[in-house]
Order: sequence, then structure tokens, then C-alpha cells
Amino acid sequence: MKKSKSLALCALLIALALALSYTERFLPLQLLIPLPGIKLGLANIVTLVALYRLGSGKALPIVLLRCIMGAVFGGGISGLLFSLTGGLLALGTMTLSGRIRSFSVYGISILGSAAHNIGQILAAMLLMQSPYILAYLPYLLLVSLFTGFATATAASGILKLLPSTDRS
Amino acid sequence: MKKEPNLSFGRGDWIAVVLVLVLAAAVLVLCLPRQGEENAVVQVWKEGELIYELPLHSDRELQIGGKYQNTVVIQNGRVYVRESTCPGGDCVHTKGISRSGQSIVCLPNRLELRITGTGEVDFAVG
Repeated sequence: MKKSKSLALCALLIALALALSYTERFLPLQLLIPLPGIKLGLANIVTLVALYRLGSGKALPIVLLRCIMGAVFGGGISGLLFSLTGGLLALGTMTLSGRIRSFSVYGISILGSAAHNIGQILAAMLLMQSPYILAYLPYLLLVSLFTGFATATAASGILKLLPSTDRS
Repeated sequence: MKKEPNLSFGRGDWIAVVLVLVLAAAVLVLCLPRQGEENAVVQVWKEGELIYELPLHSDRELQIGGKYQNTVVIQNGRVYVRESTCPGGDCVHTKGISRSGQSIVCLPNRLELRITGTGEVDFAVG
């Protein structure tokens, strides 16, 4: 892929990830399932697409910039701690599980969602200085099976439409 | 990881599902609430510091200040947050707790309500 084209795609994906994580705040998933920190993880769709189309070397700055700019646009410092630990742990897990041939986008996305929740719980334990918060993790992990499946469905739809080879 | 991925749910993906389920079960067992303590104590932690320690079995209502306001109620051996001015209000939506080892958290206000088994304080309170 040409350098300018890949740069444009990176910028586009960062903007998309930011927009998705902002939109997500208006989906009151915690009314349905009352757990702290529960969300769909729509920004993970972007991370998945970036991993497959640009590789983990470019997915990393995309996740980092999404988290930092998300904090600037209203997440705040504690929000940054949560999104960074969650986002980076998810990216690492998805990069590693992407090397395992038996996983499709679905398996990778489910493991990524689970890792994201583990990261957030770790951040909460650190912030609150309390080991008791770990008790929420099993429920969040169960939910991540469904959210991971949902984001994988979206990502696989996008990947089918977005060609992998440069046709220009 | 630029190779074309498999885009549909396959047999291998069940490994991922089982992995997550096993992890969830393991953490659940680890955090299983111990029940049946008569002299259970409600601890109120604010910004990492213990600010109240109250018996679970005597009714009480607390106002917690700070960045936001939480109304904490202890009633009939149950603790819950009745009202909160924090955004999201997860602490209000969380079900009440009644067993040792359980907790309610209000992250925006950095408040945590914890039930512990014994009335003894096993650490220094500032």
C-alpha cells in the first residue's frame, strides 16, 4: 500500500474509533446489565480492521491515539487509564491470537473483548486500591462473549468489503 | 498478521469461548462470597481510605460527599446506594449487597462499599 494511502487509512480509522467510542456512551447497556464499566466495545471493530489491513505495527498507534484523544474529548485522566489498559491488553491479545490458525475473526474478537475487560478491572483495582472489584470480572467475561461476537460480526462485514490488496 | 483471515465462525473459535468461560468460572470461585457471618461489617472506602465502619445489622443512612453525592442505605442486613449525582449511576443500578466479600463501587466518586466478615479491624485506620 502506498505510504500516503496507508496514512490516510490510519487517520480515518482513528477518527472512526473516536466517533464509535463517543457514540457508545449514549447506548445505556448498563441499564440492561447493571455492571460498572460495561460497554459494547465498538472501537474494537476498528482495532480488528486495523490489525488485518495494516498490521499490528500500525494498529498500536491507532489504539494509543484513540485513547489519548478520547481523554482530551471528555474521558479525563481516569478514563485514559481505563481505555489504555483495556485497549492495549486487547490489542496484544488479538495480535497473539491472530497468529493461531484455528481462530477466525470471531475467536480473536472474543479473546480481545475478554482481555479488554480484564484490563479495565485491573485499572479499577489499581484506582480504587481494592481487590474486591475482581468479583465483577466473571460477569463481565460472560458479557464479553456476546460483545466480542457482535464486534466480530461487524468487523467481518467490513473486511469483506474492504479489499486487502491495493488496487490503485 | 496481514494474511487474509477466516471471516466466519469456525470450530476453532469454540476454543476461545471455552477459554473465556473457564477463566470466568475460576475467578468466580476465587471471589465466592463467604456467607453467614452474624457480625458482618460495612466498610465505606473513599479515595482509597476507610472512612466508616458500621455494623451490617443496624439500619443507617449515610450521605457521602465529594465530587458527587451518594446516599448509602443500610437496611435489614442489606447495603445499597439509593441516590447518586454521579454520571451513569452504576452504583444505584447495582443490586444491594448482603454478604461478606461483596462490594458496590461508584467509580466517579471513588467510593466503595464493602462487607467484611469480622468486626475486627486488621489494619490501621488513618
